[in-house]
Amino acid sequence: MSIDGTADLSRIAESTRTPRPSREEGGGIRSSSDVRVELENVTKRFGPVVACRGVSLAVRQGEVHGLLGENGAGKTTLMKVLIGLVPGDGGEVRLGGRPVVVKDPVHAAALGLAMAQQHFSLVERLKVWENVALAHRGKMGRREATRAIGEIGERYGLTADANARVEDLTMGQRQRVELLKCLSLKPGVLILDEPTSVLTKAESRELFSVLRQVVQVDGLAVVLISHKLDEVLEVTDVVTIMRDGSVVAELRTAEADAHRLAKAMVGREVLLQADMAAVGLLDEEAARAASEAPAGSAGTAPTAGTAPSASVPAQPAPALRLVGVSARGPDGRLVLDELSIEVAAGEIVGIAGVDGNGQAAIGEVMSGILSVEAGTIEVAGREVAPRAASLMRAGVAVIPEDRHASGCVLRMSVEENLVAAELDVFRGRTGLLDKKAIRARALELIANFDITCPSPQVPMSALSGGNQQRVVLARELSRDPRVVIAVQPTRGLDVGAIEYVSEQLRAAAANGAGILLVSSELDELVALAHRVAVIHGGRIIGEMTRGRIDVERLGLLMGGRVA
Amino acid sequence: MSPLATSPPVSGTGEGAAHDLLPSPKVETARMVGLYVVSVGVALGVIAVLVLAVGHAPGSVFTALYQGSVATPGALGRTLDDTIPVILVALGTLVAVRAGMFNIGQTGQLVFGAVCAAFIALKVHGPGPLVLILALVCGLAGGAVWAGLAALLYAWRRINVVISTLLLTYVATQVLDYLVSSQRFLEEPSSSPIGALPQSAILPANVDLPHPGAYPSFGVSLGIVIALVIFGAFAVLMARSPWGMRLRMVGANPTAARRFGIRVAAVAGGALVISGALAGLAGSIMLTGEVYRITGGFANTFGNDGLLAALVCRDRPGWLLPVSFVFGVIRSGGNYFLSTGVPDYLALVLRGLLVLALVFPPVYLERREWARRLKAARVLVLRGSRAVAEKGSVS
Repeated sequence: MSIDGTADLSRIAESTRTPRPSREEGGGIRSSSDVRVELENVTKRFGPVVACRGVSLAVRQGEVHGLLGENGAGKTTLMKVLIGLVPGDGGEVRLGGRPVVVKDPVHAAALGLAMAQQHFSLVERLKVWENVALAHRGKMGRREATRAIGEIGERYGLTADANARVEDLTMGQRQRVELLKCLSLKPGVLILDEPTSVLTKAESRELFSVLRQVVQVDGLAVVLISHKLDEVLEVTDVVTIMRDGSVVAELRTAEADAHRLAKAMVGREVLLQADMAAVGLLDEEAARAASEAPAGSAGTAPTAGTAPSASVPAQPAPALRLVGVSARGPDGRLVLDELSIEVAAGEIVGIAGVDGNGQAAIGEVMSGILSVEAGTIEVAGREVAPRAASLMRAGVAVIPEDRHASGCVLRMSVEENLVAAELDVFRGRTGLLDKKAIRARALELIANFDITCPSPQVPMSALSGGNQQRVVLARELSRDPRVVIAVQPTRGLDVGAIEYVSEQLRAAAANGAGILLVSSELDELVALAHRVAVIHGGRIIGEMTRGRIDVERLGLLMGGRVA
Repeated sequence: MSPLATSPPVSGTGEGAAHDLLPSPKVETARMVGLYVVSVGVALGVIAVLVLAVGHAPGSVFTALYQGSVATPGALGRTLDDTIPVILVALGTLVAVRAGMFNIGQTGQLVFGAVCAAFIALKVHGPGPLVLILALVCGLAGGAVWAGLAALLYAWRRINVVISTLLLTYVATQVLDYLVSSQRFLEEPSSSPIGALPQSAILPANVDLPHPGAYPSFGVSLGIVIALVIFGAFAVLMARSPWGMRLRMVGANPTAARRFGIRVAAVAGGALVISGALAGLAGSIMLTGEVYRITGGFANTFGNDGLLAALVCRDRPGWLLPVSFVFGVIRSGGNYFLSTGVPDYLALVLRGLLVLALVFPPVYLERREWARRLKAARVLVLRGSRAVAEKGSVS
């Protein structure tokens, strides 16, 4: 390949390609010669908020270095300072021992620093090879880019269709492209920001094996930003834990355990169930659930999951029944293929599956923005037309997958977003909107749902991600819905917000709503759902009750094998 | 405990305020006013230089502008007559823009509305007031139909509204040209061997809009009342009705709007149709209240005036009336330029420069605001997640 301009570090990488030091050797005193990047005393302020407070960090070659912390702990900011995306306010960056001032990401790339952003930096309208070529600032043609993609794909098992348009890819595939793009720069240091936040378990595992490959074979230094304990434990060699902009601990992963990491990260004992779901510690919970699991069959005929007396189910109409629902995406592809599922009142049914198997389509169909080709939707025993207004009137609430694109209107105020779905309720006698009532309602919801915002009139865009999601939850759940469709409701949220969302969904179920929880986080499904069904190729291909979840079988189902 | 909710309201200036969520309204207003003064000053300065360049005293032009527009009761009446169509067209444009529909075919809609009104006024015989009302209604409907074509294309195949409305304007002006040069349709009846001018006959006096008062004393057509009533109605509807809010949702995020059960194509297409209807009404009021006959050049850039006025007050609908009035002033005052010997096309230059001067400050401040907000948002994200983390540690 004729990729030039990735001077310093990649060449160092070539020349010093040595086998990765084994853990036994590295466990003691490590030599500083293999330190690839060093950050010393880096500080970054955003106005009064200190994002990074004198952070020091050394990343060695041949090592996956975990950077663990909650959202807002300063992990991403630190790495953005490193690659010159935001200017630091103090401190020093050293590459291979020499102090450098990284001017901007292009300069960083030239120095061998590549970062895969959490919110991918891909041009959706362009093809995969074009996106890869873009990273080389026009110095790469179609043939070269395609070849690079093929080579990297072969080397790391990271396959991607060079001619596919990014907008047609699933999140998991986009992540792969983002990674391909970084690797095509032949970096010496690879930084990944929450790479698994949009990946399924299987995809994450795939990614981790690529990372292993990258550090072992090529001797790269990898920084993995994450707030997930299990993946940090699984894949890193060293972990640095940040809280509130400071490093609170640094340790060899081999010496760490999940509880210790969680405590350091959150600054308290992690005990709450939802917390455990967030960090992947659910053995106890699953065991408890198994002991009290409803006697309903784990297989074909779902019964009301929460019915305490399993003898004679009263069989009231389920809160939601989808029968043979088929739908096509904008590209004409069948995204739902005769999907059938039932959710009883008070029941939480999880939908697991590999991303891009129709999960998003369920949300879209149930909000009436994707038209149904065949099949029926029944709410509480009554058939409902698959149109937005009818579904809403029937009591269907949807927490959509992408809150920015379709869950809220960023340019409108918080209060307008809170009442957007029930404008007619606020129509006064004159037919105009009753602004006082809207304000009162907004303040009530802001209090009830604990939304942190300076005033109900600020634009939605001024809120943090977690608070935006609270607004969406408040709007959807406050209408006393019969059915709640929650699609990836905790994606991209931190532990506190995940805990909150989980509690709200439980509360809604306790109030008698039937809840369909679509998530690629298995832990979340196990923690919340009474039953878990697996979607593959737009149809449900199997299900099991919570107590009887067999991870291996689940894995097979998600892979499309009926087990 | 939510720290943000209890933080004191913003009041500072300079560095401290830059990081707070909302800018101080006072500072904001002061900046805005300052920028307007500067940019309008620059525009007037450029005009002065241009007038000097063509060999006249700049002062005389501004005097002419003043005398021709507001100095005498008669001039003021004319200015108001010229303001009416601008108000209506700009109002419609604002409605469409709210819904994300960038209608730039006001001229075509105005022309087609006027053509319909002219047909009624000239061909229907009956009691004057009835024919007048019918003409106005048909003018309104004509404009609606013309914009409706674009709306249908949008709903059917998502044809870009900017393109369809613009191209339909050319069609409308061609249709007008044909109609006013064809004896079978609107051309003035003539027995002259060389044929008639490409224009319609003068409207019968009994279908004219009542126009109390006449030059040189104060007079303005009843159209001003129609325009103000419609403006008031839309101001209330847009600010306070469910329809107004839906309009904004559709404009700001059509996907979310669909999720909220809003029929996006209907709301957006409806806004476009309303915009066309108001342009059509503007055309029929011009016809029946001021011009009294339809000609090839009937539109006389009124459609563009309305579009430009809407551009100026896109984000501040309250300005619509004064801005439209300024456009009226420039038009009627510009007619006075000739009396000073200054070419009257300089009035067009003046109008263009003034639009730039009025559009510049909000755009400039908006860009700055975005940069600032981006910064503030980052702070908020940090603060917000901290708040959540802290809250968690309390519980």
